[in-house]
Amino acid sequence: MKKVAVLIIALLLSYMANAQKSLLSMDENNKYIYYQVVDMPDIKADSLQKNMTLFMKEFYPKEKSLKGAGPEASVKDKFLTYTSLIKHENGEMAYTLNVECKDGKYRFWVTNFVFTPYEKDRYGMFVPVNGKDVSLEKAPDKLQKKDVEGYFEQTGAFCKQLGDKLKKYMVEGKTQPKVDKPVKKIVTDKW
Amino acid sequence: MLKSSIKSNQTKLILKSIQQTTSIMKKILLLLSLFVIAVTSVKAATPTAVADTGKVGTSADPKDPPLIFFGSVDTYYKYDFSGHRNIGTSFATDQNSVSIGMVDLGLKKKVGKASFVGELSFGPRGQEQSLPDGSNSLDPIVGGASSYHIQNLYVSYDVTDKLNFTAGYMATFIGYEVISPTGNFNYSTSYLFSNGPFQNAGFKATYAFSDKVSLMAGIFNDNWNTYTSQHDVSTFGAQLMVAPVKGWTAYLNVASGPTSGTVFDLTTAYQITDAFKLGLNAADFSTAHGGLGYDGVALYPQLAVSKIVTFGVRGEYFKFKKGDNVTGITFTSNIKAGALTLIPEIRFDNTNVETAGFTKGDGTPTKSAGQFVLAAVYAF
Repeated sequence: MKKVAVLIIALLLSYMANAQKSLLSMDENNKYIYYQVVDMPDIKADSLQKNMTLFMKEFYPKEKSLKGAGPEASVKDKFLTYTSLIKHENGEMAYTLNVECKDGKYRFWVTNFVFTPYEKDRYGMFVPVNGKDVSLEKAPDKLQKKDVEGYFEQTGAFCKQLGDKLKKYMVEGKTQPKVDKPVKKIVTDKW
Repeated sequence: MLKSSIKSNQTKLILKSIQQTTSIMKKILLLLSLFVIAVTSVKAATPTAVADTGKVGTSADPKDPPLIFFGSVDTYYKYDFSGHRNIGTSFATDQNSVSIGMVDLGLKKKVGKASFVGELSFGPRGQEQSLPDGSNSLDPIVGGASSYHIQNLYVSYDVTDKLNFTAGYMATFIGYEVISPTGNFNYSTSYLFSNGPFQNAGFKATYAFSDKVSLMAGIFNDNWNTYTSQHDVSTFGAQLMVAPVKGWTAYLNVASGPTSGTVFDLTTAYQITDAFKLGLNAADFSTAHGGLGYDGVALYPQLAVSKIVTFGVRGEYFKFKKGDNVTGITFTSNIKAGALTLIPEIRFDNTNVETAGFTKGDGTPTKSAGQFVLAAVYAF
């Protein structure tokens, strides 16, 4: 009984470790990619395009790399990666997000992952190591195995989260302005 | 007899009941284990919080980063070939001894535009070898024997995306090498490091013109390496950072004051290829009164031969103005095993005169000294 339980636990832990990495696939250019096609029945391409543009503007307002033409848009940005034991930044992952819309569906893909390691500077801040960029495809050859597993895991998680946020915009469209609810006040002079 | 038989039956029933209970307990335990794993699994598959994954929704959903802890520990063995300590640079001081460096513990937090960093250190490297005494040295009880353990204690505010104000007790902006062993390639330190400032307390403003150019200017306490100014806040400091090409960063530094003297410093590093990096430090220091001080230059070529092993050399020339000079060469390797770095190192120093301070095993003066160090540094 104990052996079976231990085996199940070991298998599940192994599965969990690989779960995020498996979210990334290889594209035809041998680059890691997170690719999704999302069906949006009954929604026209122009509505999806409006929602996509809104998403891009709200999520990347300062990003100069933001490009949008008709039903397509792309942007370059980066996210931070963290150590696992005691959380602090240990690098940043640059990526490119592409989105395309059609009648009844849209697709998006995240690719061009480039990792820049961080190091602690004299002031206790974690800063990029200048000139040490490495593409995610080459990371297993240049970085330590344990670290690389963490970067894959966090990249997969980030892409999934980004996809979920994009989908929320695509489904709901423009976010409704917040209506201030009247504050319920307690009247203390009548009791 | 009957009584005995009944008792036996009762015992059997109890045993059976216990066995059944144990079996049920095991099943419950297994189910609970699976449930916990399933929950953990779902949690793992769910992307971590926005703050944990950095710049998700940079403006649409900004979140402050969490309270961050960081630090390191280091230990070393050193053997000076003369049989006693010869080379007088900072740290790695103990001869033929497995000794400790320091435990370094830091935490930082940013809320909105305001942030703080607090970094404490314990151990020879993190106390008397790098920090000032915290007490009044004239105090008969604690004078000269109290450490505040503070390496960094400052607050910071981003006025705009480009302008930052910082105030407090900070590691110096001068020089190539640093106090924390995680920030250096070599374990032993250069003469430039050991003779330069370690910390400067004060206020500074940094303006980033672009990713490639920034300027810092500030006013600091009258003396280096003190928690309290002696008279006033009169050391002016400035740093121009330029990054002309990818991989190359250079810092032009100056710190000047009527009490602390004037130091000009160039610190630069260029990651020329994936494997090869070249660093350079040059400095000139003049005391405030009189013509004493030092000049020096150090070169740091490093070659990564695999993803876990890097070899490096530090070549240094250092001269006290109106005094002796020393040339040092240090061969170092960094061998990484996860967060642990092993640092074997061999170093040879040579002075221009026999009276500069090095001695042979029998105590007679000599121009040269050599030592071996094996250090282990764990960063977290």
